[in-house]
Amino acid sequence: MGKQEDFVLRALEERDVRFVRLWFTDVLGFLKSVSVAPAELENAFDEGIGFDGSAIQGFARVYESDMLAHPDASTFQILPWRGGSDGPATARMFCDIVMPDGSPSYADPRHVLKRTLSKAAERGFTFYTHPEIEFYLFKNVPGKGDEPQPVDRSGYFDHTAQSRGSDFRREAITMLEAMGISVEFSHHEGGPGQQEIDLRYADALTTADNVMTFRTVVREVALGQDIWASFMPKPFTTHPGSGMHTHVSLFEGDRNAFFEAGAEYQLSRTGRSFIAGVLRYAAEISVVTNQWVNSYKRLLGGGEAPSYICWGHNNRSAMVRVPMYKPNKGQSTRIELRTIDAACNPYLAFAVTLAAGMKGIEESYELPGEAEDDVWTLTERERRSLGIQPLPKSLSEAIDVAESSELLAETLGEHVFDFFLRNKRSEWEEYRTQVSAFERDRMLPIL
Amino acid sequence: MSGPTTSTGAYVRIGFQDGPAAAAGIARLGRHAKPLTDALAASADPDAALAALLRIVDALDALDEQDDGTGHAMLAEVADDEGTAMRLCSVLGASAALATHLCRHPDQWRELTDPTLGSTRPPAFSVRGLLLEAVGADPTAEAPVATKPDAEALDALRVEYRRILLRLASRDLAHHLGIDDAAAEISDLAAGTLEAALAVARARVGDPAGLARLAVIAMGKCGGHELNYVSDVDVVFVFEPALLESGEKADESAALRAATQLASHLMRVCSDQTREGTIWPVDANLRPEGARGPLVRTLASHRGYYEKWAKTWEFQALLKARPVAGDLALGQAYVEAIEPMVWSAAERDGFVTDVQAMRRRVIDHIPAHQAGRQIKLGSGGLRDVEFAVQLLQLVHGRADPTLREGATLSALAQLTSGGYVGREDGEKLREAYAFLRTLEHRVQLHQLRRTHVLPEDDASLRRLGRSLGHFSEPVEQLDKQWRYHRREVRRLHEKIFYRPLLGAVAKLPGSGARLSLEAAGARLAALGYGDPQAALRHLEALTSGVSRTSDIQRTLLPVLLEWFADAPDPDAGLFGFRRISESLGRSPWYLTMLRDEGEVAQRLALVLGTSRYATDLLEREPQGVKMLGESLVPLSAEVVLAEMQSLVERQETAETAVAAVRAVRRRELLRLACGELVAGTDVAVVGQGLSRLTDATLQATLDIACESLRVQRGLEAVPTRLAVIAMGRYGGFELSYGSDADVMFVHDPVKGAEAQVAASFAQAVIGELRRLLSLPASDPPLEVDADLRPEGKNGPMVRTLESYAAYYAKWSHVWEFQALLRADPVVGDEALRARFTALIDPLRFPEGGLSDSDVVEVRRIKARVDQERLPRGADRHTHLKLGRGGLADVEWTVQLLQMRHAGRVPELRTPQTLPALEAAAAAGLIARLDAEKLAEAWRLVSRMRNAVTLVRGKPSDQVPRDARDRLAVARVLGYPEGASDEMVNDYLRTTRRAHAVVERVFWE
Repeated sequence: MGKQEDFVLRALEERDVRFVRLWFTDVLGFLKSVSVAPAELENAFDEGIGFDGSAIQGFARVYESDMLAHPDASTFQILPWRGGSDGPATARMFCDIVMPDGSPSYADPRHVLKRTLSKAAERGFTFYTHPEIEFYLFKNVPGKGDEPQPVDRSGYFDHTAQSRGSDFRREAITMLEAMGISVEFSHHEGGPGQQEIDLRYADALTTADNVMTFRTVVREVALGQDIWASFMPKPFTTHPGSGMHTHVSLFEGDRNAFFEAGAEYQLSRTGRSFIAGVLRYAAEISVVTNQWVNSYKRLLGGGEAPSYICWGHNNRSAMVRVPMYKPNKGQSTRIELRTIDAACNPYLAFAVTLAAGMKGIEESYELPGEAEDDVWTLTERERRSLGIQPLPKSLSEAIDVAESSELLAETLGEHVFDFFLRNKRSEWEEYRTQVSAFERDRMLPIL
Repeated sequence: MSGPTTSTGAYVRIGFQDGPAAAAGIARLGRHAKPLTDALAASADPDAALAALLRIVDALDALDEQDDGTGHAMLAEVADDEGTAMRLCSVLGASAALATHLCRHPDQWRELTDPTLGSTRPPAFSVRGLLLEAVGADPTAEAPVATKPDAEALDALRVEYRRILLRLASRDLAHHLGIDDAAAEISDLAAGTLEAALAVARARVGDPAGLARLAVIAMGKCGGHELNYVSDVDVVFVFEPALLESGEKADESAALRAATQLASHLMRVCSDQTREGTIWPVDANLRPEGARGPLVRTLASHRGYYEKWAKTWEFQALLKARPVAGDLALGQAYVEAIEPMVWSAAERDGFVTDVQAMRRRVIDHIPAHQAGRQIKLGSGGLRDVEFAVQLLQLVHGRADPTLREGATLSALAQLTSGGYVGREDGEKLREAYAFLRTLEHRVQLHQLRRTHVLPEDDASLRRLGRSLGHFSEPVEQLDKQWRYHRREVRRLHEKIFYRPLLGAVAKLPGSGARLSLEAAGARLAALGYGDPQAALRHLEALTSGVSRTSDIQRTLLPVLLEWFADAPDPDAGLFGFRRISESLGRSPWYLTMLRDEGEVAQRLALVLGTSRYATDLLEREPQGVKMLGESLVPLSAEVVLAEMQSLVERQETAETAVAAVRAVRRRELLRLACGELVAGTDVAVVGQGLSRLTDATLQATLDIACESLRVQRGLEAVPTRLAVIAMGRYGGFELSYGSDADVMFVHDPVKGAEAQVAASFAQAVIGELRRLLSLPASDPPLEVDADLRPEGKNGPMVRTLESYAAYYAKWSHVWEFQALLRADPVVGDEALRARFTALIDPLRFPEGGLSDSDVVEVRRIKARVDQERLPRGADRHTHLKLGRGGLADVEWTVQLLQMRHAGRVPELRTPQTLPALEAAAAAGLIARLDAEKLAEAWRLVSRMRNAVTLVRGKPSDQVPRDARDRLAVARVLGYPEGASDEMVNDYLRTTRRAHAVVERVFWE
């Protein structure tokens, strides 16, 4: 056992922790949790906790269901919403999943990201991400067929006296900070009841863990206030969807590899190739960055959500945006990826983004021309003449492109790749057969 | 100038390298030249020693400006006393650093005149006293404080340290001190130095120093009383608040501050670079929490840490903890508090794996360019001995307090006399360790540098060789000795864990104490045996008795046990070895061969610990062990057939003849299996080998059956000629270990024979052939499957050529022609075989290719096969034969290409998958890249299929689900430990890519 494990075991005693929740994430991005008593934890560090992998979405082929969860001591946190400040506490740790012979499981999304990160590390790069997570707050727990009721009618940056939204944000942020997750920024977003909270930048594995924690915290806080929080990408036809714009950067040691003084937008060759890679593979990785049927309704909705594969500087319709450079802030040079939505599996989404960007660096892709106009306002022909391709328009299109993607298969690993696409294919098939309210409203009266 | 004159050549003869320089230098010695020359010639580096001596003379002369006779007075005195001359010259020849020290402090040469140096070891307390006095502290005080000004004290301490070191080195070099004594004296010197440094630290800290009692605990080599000349000194600090004059205890936090200051000053006093250089770095990183933990802790804090958080390696370090300076009572209390924990460390889970993993890591981390010249690390180095000894101490020391020794050599002696290490092994290991340590000392002594690498230049090697007493051919002798001892350490290291296990179950002649059964069980479990009790029973069975056999077993088993432990299944390996040994009993060659040919034994261990299939074969026919010493390249069909036929001639009955044939087959199966396991035979070669072996077996058996039937029926000559057509994977030369042989039989009545008689004869021969091959015997049965014949199970077993022609003319199903693609007449009458080939070629390679409807038919059948043939519950992704991108996918794709194009492209006309694929790519019928993907998948799946059979002992068409089998398969396929899921990922990737090609090439 290392020092981290020692620290955890000590903290258990000092903080009177009665339960430790071991967290891991299934292939679709749902959080799984198993509780162990502190006495079991030492054993869990040494040998892991056994569980039946076949019961977890996408984890195991039925016959090799024995898997072990190995807690990662560096992710230890007390859960602030369980137990008071002085009573017995509950803590959580994220886990790595391993096979009985000790080899890391290829089905574990965390391992997918770790593998991709270590490939980048072999070339000397560390990957940092900074997500801006949007979500809606509703007055009620959604029932089948109900129209959701947002908690307010405000808009972007609106300050409303005594609004439930700002109370909510204050409590959520306090709780996040209590769990060691720093919040950079928070405000009311464009839709009614829509909020945005930005997490501080950190290495991608930490951020992915943080996103998982974030979603849990936000749901917990909402329930505590008798409201409902949802990360559904596009809950309303008329209001903007919820994305997870993600700022990413690569570091070589202490140096930001995207920064080059004097270059255009202070963006280095590495940075340009990275963007080129992300653009070239945008369609192939779309099924991971935007994994639900509903994700594509957000992308088609216009406004802040990108539908076309292009990049721009301060162009809020571009898929990849190079933010304005702030003088003397070379270390903060970064690019913003605007496709990812808040309902993704963050481990997989970060992994495929990094893989696409690294591919661009390895093969020295040339960055295509910048999109200067609002791509929404261009005509189809104009876009074609500028070489701007659309992103997949539906989950089905995204699956079709993904199925022949070597990049995706190599990054996700065969097992996750196969399960994921099969699962998405069946989601699409199920969706396709549904008769929607839209059809009934339109057609029943006249046909 | 007077004195004897000698030619320069004579100097070279007595050991100088540079004759003229030696002559000139010796001339300067004047009348003392003669006695001094002898002493110089006996030193490690006469040239350097002479030069240094002259520099000292100069330095002495310079010391006193009025009188330049001082130098010569020294020479006179030295020349007069043989002992002094020897001591001075040996130091000057072996250590450039000490020579420099003497030039700086020339009057210290007098130290070496002390006649007691040869006989008396300076007691530790007197060394401590000298060093304390050097800094102006009172050795009798309870807490000595330096009184000299700080800078002066630091210099004085350094000079005094080297003065004592000089005396020590002269004892070591000129009076052949034992390595254990030399190392112990160096440790005493270090302890005294720490004490003096503490006195300086007290002076620096001032009054607050009195607030804390501080004890310095030496760990590592200093703690073990076995320090090197130059080495970091590992320490841990313990403090307690002092009892003040007022009778109260000092405040703990004030005491903590004082103790921390004392400790950090102490460390700096030793390591700071001054005018007089530095002594050595003091390393406190073995303390609780390492470099991040507090520098000093109270006794209770130490205890709390070790009770809860300490790791295995920390206990290993604590084995050698010993209080050396400061408050010795407190230090003693520390050691007494920690000791019980050290000795219960072995009970902790994962303890032995921890220690072994550490060892492996140490070996792995040596930079490759140094690995060969490392004295300390590396295979066969000092660290190997130290780790082995410490590991055994920790494993057995809890039950046996006599093992609780600090020094490696003392511990080794105790382990030996306690029976934990064999007596002879212990002695050899001691010798090797003493040699390596001495060598390390001599390397370090030269520049007083901390190095563990043997230099590469000849001059250094010559000096080292001579300092170890090799005056003729020093470089060669040194190299030889070093290699010998390293080899010994490596050899013993393998056995040291294992050999005493035998002592636990068998009375070893001549050995002293025995390892207890409990201790043996604990050791086996730690080495990876899942069932130590069973393993001990096997060991007992193998080694009991006083016969020669059990004698040899006792020498063999220690090594075998380690090899088994390295294989995926150690228990199976040992059990298999026992059964084979029992059935081979007293065969004279068996054990002798294992003993004398190391490779055979290692191969045997690997095979037994990995493959149930090969173990089964060996158990049925233990003689097969012999083959492990031979080439594992598959024999050609002709050689095998010739051997089978010559055996057949000597047999009386058909049954015994076939038994002989099958014995050859069994032996060759073993050769193929071992070849794949040990030498990684290519999968295509294995397939060919298995197919050829089947050819030879069928041919020999067919001959026997024919002859037997002819005799039975009282016929003059056989009425019909017979041939066997290989089909399916057999026809494709792609058999794997468990496959049935798919065949068809054809016969052709000789001219004049009655059709009825010929048919009945052929029928009977085939019946006899099948009966003979399936007789119960000790070899894996050869299942002959004729279900691919026309009309399948309902058709006659054997047809005439004409009957085949008529059938194919009448019933031309495309799938039957597809099956014929892999038909290869391999056995029987040659003319008949050629005619059969001529008959089917136009059918299977249609000139105009396939009609569209035939293509559709082939695809339809494939779709149905995919759907229906996959067994219930099988996973399509990991099914080797029918799965996604599996064998069927690739083979159907190739076959469809063949049927469509072989009419035009003659190169496609082969029953074998890979050559056909290659031909298709060459003809541009499939993209090169696609062909490569298919070939890669086909190879991988075939290899996996063979590996699965080898590991499980029975064929299976599924990537193994059982974790242990999967691990073993991964090992057979060459994956490192812990990579079995990586193997599955590779498998899935390769087959997915192949499947994508199949989707395009076969289906579109």
